[in-house]
Amino acid sequence: MASKLWATKAASCLRISVFHRGFATVLKDLKYADSHEWVKVEGNSATVGITDHAQDHLGDVVYVELPEVGAAVKQGASFGAVESVKATSDINSPISGKVVEINKELHDSPGLVNASAYENGWIIKVEVNNSNELNSLMDSDQYAKFCEEEDAKH
Amino acid sequence: MGVVNYLEALKLQEKLTADRKIHKITDTLLSLQHPPTYTLGKRRTDHNLLVSEPELKAMGAELHYTERGGDITFHGPHQAVLYPIISLRDVGLGARKYVENLELTMIELASLYGVQACAGQKGETGVWVGEKKIGAIGVRISSGITSHGLAFNINPDLNYFKHIVPCGIADKEVTSLQKEAERVVPPEEVIHDQLIACFIRIFGYTDVISKDSASISSYNLEN
Repeated sequence: MASKLWATKAASCLRISVFHRGFATVLKDLKYADSHEWVKVEGNSATVGITDHAQDHLGDVVYVELPEVGAAVKQGASFGAVESVKATSDINSPISGKVVEINKELHDSPGLVNASAYENGWIIKVEVNNSNELNSLMDSDQYAKFCEEEDAKH
Repeated sequence: MGVVNYLEALKLQEKLTADRKIHKITDTLLSLQHPPTYTLGKRRTDHNLLVSEPELKAMGAELHYTERGGDITFHGPHQAVLYPIISLRDVGLGARKYVENLELTMIELASLYGVQACAGQKGETGVWVGEKKIGAIGVRISSGITSHGLAFNINPDLNYFKHIVPCGIADKEVTSLQKEAERVVPPEEVIHDQLIACFIRIFGYTDVISKDSASISSYNLEN
């Protein structure tokens, strides 16, 4: 119990939230979709990836299908896929816009999605065309609760 | 129990997936067999196909590229195929746990016949009897709804596997329930029914409504 309290205090200094149930990390400052993608918005540029909860539930990612630069993405629609344990899972965009950059590192190192879901495992960067869409996404606390409820189902 | 053309089954799965996504239907399970068919996954690993397409056609087999995960595989008569169209979000499962449950389904079925099968080592998803593969898995998850699924070798003609590097894993053989079991296995309808029963138990479904058409057995599932 004491070590959990310590972890929470340390976490709030580092500005991350720590689950008490499992070890999946949720970062404050990001927004989250209920299909387990995160988005980090800076001005009208956004970076998108999948969450730590998602990568843990997927297993080791062996392949990432990326869109073309210049492709349009739409909130809630699929823009690519990841493959793990012989399962391909669609990745949905949390926001609408145009793809301006893709993470080419993922071609040779798809495992970055597992090892560094919020940093080096980022998937696409998007030029946002409607920042109001962020209002329909979850913040870190809402997302943490959402994950707990989902995991409690089985 | 009929033999269903691969593309026909794929079209049916696409319709069911769309219906499941909008909650028009509950979780559904398809149970069927295919005529001789080779399929590739999203990564299009056709370097693991050891013959040309014309040679395949001459054998009476089809070749299809799909969006599922996994490498190249063969489907054919006397191989039980299950395609669960289920909402992973509703049952609270991720891809990894879902695939583990598919593996357990086949492992349990094999054990009914005294065959000790196990899940593969890391990166070798599927079901093995020693170094020989008895069951394969390839899944697609779209907006949390599954399609494609598993293929369990009851007694297919294993020579068809010689024309591919099965699942991209060289130097490993393929086997079947009939080869591994110490007695003659019952008619395939029985095996299909048992496989479905294992699936239902492992996934915890309580209500099952069966809808048999001429060639595909379809089950609506609820828990």
